[in-house]
Order: sequence, then structure tokens, then C-alpha cells
Amino acid sequence: MLDAQHGAAPVASVRDLKVYFQTKRGIVHAVDGVSFDIRDGETLGLVGETGCGKSVTGRSFLRLLPVPPGIQAGGSVMFNGHAVCAACAGVGCGACGSTGRQAGRDSSVDLLGISSEDMRRIRGDRIAMIFQDPGKALNPTLPIGAQIAEVFFQHRTEELIALAGLPADTAGAIRRFASQSPRFGDGWLLALPGARAQRRQVEAALAKMVASALAETQVPNPVKLMARYPHELSGGMRQRVMIAQALACNPDLLIADEPTTALDVTVEARILELIRDLQQRRKTSVLYISHDLSLVRRISDRVAVMYAGRIVEIGATAEIFANPRHPYTRGLMAAAPSADTPRGKLAAIRGTVPELVDPPSACRFLGRCPHEAGACRSNDPALQVVAPGHSVACFIDHPAPSGERPTYDRVTA
Amino acid sequence: MTDVQQTRIAAGAMTADTAFRVRMRRLFGVLQGMASNPATVIGLVVIALMLVMAIFAPWILEPNSPDPYQMPRDWGAVRKPPGTPGHPLGTTNEGGDVLYGVIWGSRTSLQLSLMVVGSTMIVGTIVGSIAGLVGGWVDEVLMRLVDVFLSIPELIFALAIAAVLGPSFGNIILALAVVLWVKYARIMRAQVLQIKQHDFVDAARVIGDTKLNIYLRDILPNAVTPVTVQATLDMGNVVLIGATLSFIGLSEAGIAEWGVLVSEGQAGIASGRWWASTFPGLMIFLWALAFNLVGDGLRDALDPRTEGR
Amino acid sequence: MRAAAEPQADDLILSIREVKKHYPIREGALQRVVGHVRAVDGVSFDIRRGQTVGLVGESGCGKTTLGRVIAALADPTDGGVHYSMDGAMCRIDRLEGKAARTFRRNCQMVFQDSYASLNPRHLVIDLVGRPLKVYNEAASSDLVERVVELLDQVGLGRQHLYRYPHQFSGGQRQRISIARALALNPEVIVLDEPTSALDVSVQAQILNLLNDLQKERNLAYLFVTHDLSVVRHMADRLVVMYLGKVAEAGETQAIFDSPHHPYTRELMAAKPDMEAEANVEIRGLEGTVPDPARPPQGCRFHTRCELATSACGWEVDDVVRWLEDAPGMFEHLVGVERTTEFAAELAFDTEEAAGLLSMAVRSEQVPEAMRAAMRRLNLDGTKVEIEFEDVGEVELTARDDGRMAACVLAPQEVASWKSP
Repeated sequence: MLDAQHGAAPVASVRDLKVYFQTKRGIVHAVDGVSFDIRDGETLGLVGETGCGKSVTGRSFLRLLPVPPGIQAGGSVMFNGHAVCAACAGVGCGACGSTGRQAGRDSSVDLLGISSEDMRRIRGDRIAMIFQDPGKALNPTLPIGAQIAEVFFQHRTEELIALAGLPADTAGAIRRFASQSPRFGDGWLLALPGARAQRRQVEAALAKMVASALAETQVPNPVKLMARYPHELSGGMRQRVMIAQALACNPDLLIADEPTTALDVTVEARILELIRDLQQRRKTSVLYISHDLSLVRRISDRVAVMYAGRIVEIGATAEIFANPRHPYTRGLMAAAPSADTPRGKLAAIRGTVPELVDPPSACRFLGRCPHEAGACRSNDPALQVVAPGHSVACFIDHPAPSGERPTYDRVTA
Repeated sequence: MTDVQQTRIAAGAMTADTAFRVRMRRLFGVLQGMASNPATVIGLVVIALMLVMAIFAPWILEPNSPDPYQMPRDWGAVRKPPGTPGHPLGTTNEGGDVLYGVIWGSRTSLQLSLMVVGSTMIVGTIVGSIAGLVGGWVDEVLMRLVDVFLSIPELIFALAIAAVLGPSFGNIILALAVVLWVKYARIMRAQVLQIKQHDFVDAARVIGDTKLNIYLRDILPNAVTPVTVQATLDMGNVVLIGATLSFIGLSEAGIAEWGVLVSEGQAGIASGRWWASTFPGLMIFLWALAFNLVGDGLRDALDPRTEGR
Repeated sequence: MRAAAEPQADDLILSIREVKKHYPIREGALQRVVGHVRAVDGVSFDIRRGQTVGLVGESGCGKTTLGRVIAALADPTDGGVHYSMDGAMCRIDRLEGKAARTFRRNCQMVFQDSYASLNPRHLVIDLVGRPLKVYNEAASSDLVERVVELLDQVGLGRQHLYRYPHQFSGGQRQRISIARALALNPEVIVLDEPTSALDVSVQAQILNLLNDLQKERNLAYLFVTHDLSVVRHMADRLVVMYLGKVAEAGETQAIFDSPHHPYTRELMAAKPDMEAEANVEIRGLEGTVPDPARPPQGCRFHTRCELATSACGWEVDDVVRWLEDAPGMFEHLVGVERTTEFAAELAFDTEEAAGLLSMAVRSEQVPEAMRAAMRRLNLDGTKVEIEFEDVGEVELTARDDGRMAACVLAPQEVASWKSP
């Protein structure tokens, strides 16, 4: 629950992000001007219902949206990668305040503007992502070990060579082998007696790295797991493998897109625990995307509530849950059945999420909001600070340019 | 606004009409999807022209008597090049008018493809549906039979049947029908097996609807799309194979059929008499191409991934 | 607090008795049956008029299969679902002709995936009007009015009659499914995860609707779901399933107040309420659900239960499972020769591995309860002979206030147990 006083620059800042989709019905404004920061080492929960743009926002970080039909309509996603502490190679020592990071050497890039090659270098290394369905995100034709090994091939060639006990200036076929970029003829070169021994060393080093990555996720018998295929594993186990793969390179930012939605509650609790534990130990920042408020409450330091392509409320988790300001946030909280809701008296939010083709210049929650008033129909509320670290986009809390302002007291539904 | 309007419209006797209009709009949507692809439009135009030619053949060229499907023979003008008065596309070795063959040949081809595709589609759909619905040993037996048919190249198989039955155009239709139904059976079975799993089939069972109704209302309508696409593609392919069989002489000589004409004319190509083979050959090419273009367009327009977007 | 009036015998609509549903596992070219997946393995409970029975459990516990058996979409392997008709209880898979149609009309179902359960080529009027047509309930002239009436009850209107399913949102589609289920005025509706694909705000709409309809029509619901907060809100009675068997059954409120089965407790602890304190410890379960083709002996939950005792059915499979997870051990196992499920001789390829195992099963590496259940452990060269106490299946036993639970522990022991 760190607040704005936190000194370090945010690990990522999204500014006025706009992502549209070209459809037959017109241009859908899936994400329409979203701005937020992910602070260093925090977990930011991004909640909202289906179609509110939360997944699209998450995918924008890694440019994983198909273009077309997606249109990058504007904004930026600044990412401040860390430099690994030279003294301890990221393990954590006195020199870096046991963060494993070297201060003052951070580099800042706009993820939406860099080349595909630069993006590839960041993906899986500095920013990793885990998905809702680990069954689809893992390649069914490769054993688990090989899939995690790919990350090391792509991003950890130097370490691999060092761990194999080979000199750092190793070149040629062995280096190409360790970076998974074989050239024609490498197969023969690697079959030569000398190269074969070196290759074995690299393979052994790789196996060691993969096993330790898997062990991080508390799977029993990681060495045996490496030889198995995704379909042989349960959903929870596959999600652990995905997490191992995502965290293998110790990323600065992990984007978790509904990672437990497909899992049973008992397994979900374990995975949640695991993510939280790894996050705290490694000080990774996490963007946790979910539709489940109770879950986000448990894992996040701050929460951003999204509705219809906009962030309508953002603030510290405790603050948001103790004092929700936006009618939508309040509606979401009230709609979940709890122990003492009388049966049949759930506080449903009327209507459905609007289609975001040519959204009018009005509050997006109009038509579903129980408190709407004149001001909401003629003006589009923007996020404004209502308390330190707590911003809301609703005229209930800040003055409207024109028209009658809504209040909680008056229910207009 | 439209909701209110619809509320007014949808009352009493108007209802059947409304449902019909909505369904037509959906069909229209599919056609619109096809019309947005230029290749499909070209295919449709070519097919339309061919149909016009086939339907109006008796008005374009006086039918030969007694049998209009036999080539008229003008023994006074054999091996005439295109442009000869009375024979704008030239004549064959036996004095057959190439233009007559081209125009009346479109009727023959239409007959051939409609009969073959129609019968194979019906037989294949029925067999595939039975295999998919009944399952068990019935499915095993039917599918092994299909495997046997599919293991022999269709052209060679059709050739063998036609050869045994004797050379006649009717036998070519029969041979092709015997060979081609298996494709539909296989497509249909796969579709039925897949659609059987859908929740809406279970939902119909929970209501208590009869098995026949569930098949006719839930399974069949959702399964026919790939069969329709295959049928469109086959409209072209059948004429190709039929022409090949005619070409090697498994049809009666002298019949107004493109394949036969190509066959009769091919001997003259070396001596520079290109026209007797080229014009009917071109027709075969256009026919097959047009139906393939439309088949591809239909597949895209009916693709469930794009439908309803 | 939610206890309905004392149920009378004639309130009974469905009685599920010892229902089993086993699916054969076939292997090889000859499709020989090599075993059975015991999806549902002997489940009994009743459904009464106007009552909601919640059926909860994790995926793979058999709840959906059981729902399908009750809706007569699948025939039970053994046991049966009995339907109350004219004062008598009739097994639904033996009904014929008119009686079968009567049952069919009175037991409807709503599926989880509203998109998949509505034929994409049918208009709303076809979908909702279909049951009426099947039973000749409405001629074409008043069919429209009947359908409009039904749509009206689920919060849709005349303007929706001539639209296709894909033109609706998920919540609206689920309303269409409910309207279809209501068309024949049934006594009981099987709701198979009706809201788990919906957003929470829409879920609230649907749950309210279901509740209103229940009150109006005195409907009985079988609410199949994995979501405890939803069943707690909706169900009068609860049946908690684990691996094809009932772990616990009883009044919803009573179960939530004090679970008598550790599994129920774990389920509740895994997903605390929104109202609960933010820092309430969330707890998950170790390990995975065992293979339903080889369910554990004794209590099926003992492999994951933190409260397990020596009487819970420790067996040879537990040792094998432990070996699978122990680094570098399973590779050395060359054979398991069982005399019973509880006794076997494990052969290793090295004496060292055999020694390691016999050491391990005596140490902290295995649960204490497992060690306590071990009757004999013999190390003989490369072979380890092991024998556990022979324990019968843990039966579902009646507790006070109509509760049933299948646990060897007393309720107080379950309630007072604290996670270490």
C-alpha cells in the first residue's frame, strides 16, 4: 500500500491510451483515453466487466493485439526497465538496498513506439504475461521443459554460457545453439566430438535453470515435470508452469490477465498465494487484471476500476473498498451475493455495457447509473482527485461544467 | 425507436411475415458478403451467362432434329475455320458446327452437373447423417465403405465403372454419382458428430422434441454449410471429370458435349485446326473456374467466424 | 432463518437414490474396456416443491453429470432418479409414453453457456415457442401471445421476438433460455451453472429473476454451481460433492455456520466473502483431484485433507503418489505387487532407493496420519513390503438437524481445527 510519496519512478506509465477496433458496425472505442501508473514493486488490480477494455489495456503493454482490426489510436505506454545491480547480479546486496537493481541507470521507452525487435527483447524478459487459459497458452506439442527453456534461449544466452562453464567469448555454433538461432550446417558442427561435449554442458546448464525456475512455483518434482506435456497436467499445474515461464527471467513487470478464472476456487487460492509470494520476494510489479472484486482486493495494493473503455475510479485498495465513490464501483460491490443479502434482493446494475461505437460526450455509465442527473447527460466526467491517491470520474465528487449535479441521496433509476 | 415500430408491426397476422422478413434479411446478408468479393462476383456473372445460354439455347440456335443433343452435320463444310459463313466458330472433321456444340453443350453440362451433384449430395447427406447419428457398428461399416471408395482415385474409379457399363453419356452420369457421394457422406458425418455435442441439441431433448425433429431442425440446418460449399465446387469439378471421360471416348460419339468436342478436335490441332478443341475447352475452363470462385466466396460468406458480426 | 415450512411427504418431486454414472475407458485397437471413470458414484438426495437444492463442488466432481442424469439427458449406470407422479415414485428411465412426456414437461434445464444452448439459426419466437409447439400447447395464432407473455416474465419484450441469439448480450440470452424452460410450466428446473459465464452485475439480475419466478410458480431448482457465494444466496439445502460422492448435505445456513466435512471447510476458506475482513487468510488445497477412475480408498478426500487421521483409508496408491512427486525416486520403482489395495510389495532397481523409501515413509516427509495407519513396513533388499490398515469406505452418516456428512471426525473436531 505504498502511496504517491514513493520516491522511485513508476515502472510503467500509461498515458491517454486509445485502442479502437474496426468492426462492421463501426469503430469500437475499446480503450478510450486510459491513464495510470504502475508503481515500482506494487500490484495494481485492474477490474471491470466483460468488454470494459481491461484485457485490451493489458495486451497493449506487449503489443499483443491484432492490427487490424485493432487500431492504435493514440497515447503512450512508457516503460522504465531496471538495470540489474552490478555488485550482486540481481540477488540483492547492501550496495543496491537488497533490491537487486542499480539505481540511476533506468531506461525509459515507449512500448507503443519501439521496433518489433526491441519489443521482442522486452517480451518475456522485462515484461511477462500470464493468461486466463494456460491450456491454450502452452504449446501442446512441446514438453514443459522445452517451453521454459525457450525463454532462456531468447533472453539468457550469456548466463547460459557462463553456467555451462564456457568462456564468455564463446562464439560460433555453440553460441548459436545457446541462443536458439541455428544456421545451416550447425547440426554437423555440433556433432563434432569437441562441440558435442560443450553442447552437453549447455544442455545441462539449461536443465538446471529450467528446474530452478519451476521449483520457484512450488511444483513437486520439477525435474520430472520438465519431461511432461501440457495435456498431462491439471489446470492449476499448467498455470504454475506458465508462471514459472513468465517469471523465469525475473521481469520488472508481470501482466496477469485473469490467471485464475478457469481454475477451481481451492486451486485459485494457491495460485494467488504463489503470485503474491513471488511478487514480494522479487519485487516485481504486477498488473492484475480480473473481473472479480473480492480477488483483486486480496492481491492488489491499488485498484483501478474500468468501465466502457475508461478508468472510472483508482486508488489504494483499502481506500476504494472502504470508501467507494463511483456509482459503478458501488454497484459492482453490491451486486456480489453476500451472507446477509436477502434472497431475490441483490443489487443488480440495470442494463448492459453499452456498445462503444461513437460514444457520445456524456458519462458512459449513463442509463445504468442510479443517480444520474442533468450534468451527466451533457458532460463527460474525467478522473479527478478526491482524496490523496484516490481519483474518481463522477460529478458526484467534483463540479460539473453545466447542468444539475448528481448526488447519492437522489436515486433517479 | 425501431423497437417501438417493430412492436406495432409484430401483431397477429403480420407475425409470419415478420419472421420471413428477418430470415430473408439474414440470407441477404450472406449474399452481400459474397458480393463484396470481386472474384465471387465474376464467378456469379459467368455462371449467370452460362445459364442464360443453356436455357435459351433453342432460341439462339435452331435445335437439330430429331435429337437436339446430337451435333448437326454439314458434310458440305468440313474442317472450316472460324468466320466461315453459317459457322462462326468453324466446323469439325465431320462438319459439326462448333458454335452449336458450345451452346448446346452448356445444356449437357448443366444436366450432368445437376444430376450428379444433386444425387450425390442427397445420398451422401443421408448416409453421413445415419453414420453420425446412429454410431456404433453402423457407423463403422458405412465409414469403412467410404474409406474403400476414397482409396481409389476418383477419375480411375469412374473410368472403370463407365467402361464396364459401356460408352454412353448416361453411364458417365451414373459412374460419377457412384464415385462422388462418399465425399458428402464424410463431410456430413463429421458435421453431425460435432453438432450433436452442442448444448442446443441437449436443450431440444430436454424439451422433449422427437429425434426426427431434432435432426431436421437443429442438426441438419447447422450441418449443411460445408456440404453446400462442396456441392458448389463439385458443380465445376463434375464437368471437368465428365469431359475427361468423354474425351477418352466413354461417351457416345457425335453428342453435343464439350469433352467430346475437345476429343474430336484434338487430332486436328497438329495440323493447325485449333478451333474445334479450343472453344469447347475454353467453356470447360470457364465453367469450372466460375463455380470454384463462387464456392470459395460462399465458404467465406458462410464462415461462422464472420457470420453475425 | 431460511428454513421453509416443514416439508410434507407430498412435497417431494424428485428423489435421487444411489445414482451412479460410470463411463468406460477404452483402449487399444479393439476398444477394450480397461476401467471406468466413476463420475458419479452413489449419490442420494431429494428435491421438494418450491425448494432450491444447491449442488456444489470443484470441476470434475461429477455435479454436471449428475445434473444431466436428473434431467434425463443421460441414463444412470446404477440407481435411479424417482419422480413423484400421482402419489407414486416412478423411476424416470423406466417411464414410457404419456408418463415419460409428463416427466419431460415437468423437468426442464438451463445450461451454462447461453450461446451454445440456443440454436443460432432460430429466432427467439422459434426458441421460446418450440416447447409449446412440441406439446401442441399453442396454435400458431396465439403462439405469439404466449411467447410474448413468457418473454415478459423474464424481462424481455415483444420487440425481441424476431431476433437471433447472437443479437443479444449474455444476460439476455440466459433470459431467453429461462423463458424456454418456463414455457411448459415445469415443477423443477435443473440450473447448470446458469450465471458462471456472466458478469457480477448481470448475475445479480438473473439470480433475482430466478428467485421471483420461484416464488410466483412454486418452482423447485437444482442449482449446480462451483460458486459458494451464489448457492449460499440461492439454496435452501446444499449438497457438497467431491469426486463423485456426497461429502456433506444439509440446510445451507447450517452448513455455512459449521461445516461438518473438512472439504466443505476448505471450499469456504478458499473464497471468503466480500464482507469478510480484507486480511482474512485465504487458503487453498494441496495437490490435485485424484483420478476418478481410481478413487482413493476410505474417504476420497484423505489425499488432500489436512485433518486426515489414520482411519481415513491410507493405501498403497498414496505411497505411489508420494513417489511420483519425490525427486529422483519414481524412476527407480520397477514394480508394485498388490495383495489388496492396502498391502503391496514395491520393487526398486537399487537397494539404496528401497532404503530411501522405507526411511521416508517413517519420517516427516509423509503425513503423520499415514504413518499411523501403517501396520507393517519391511525392507528386504530392493523390495519394500508395506501394509496399511484395512479401512472400509467412509459412509455418509446422518448428523443432527438432518445433516449428512461423510467424515470420520466429529463436527467439533472439524470446526475447531486451525491451520498451522
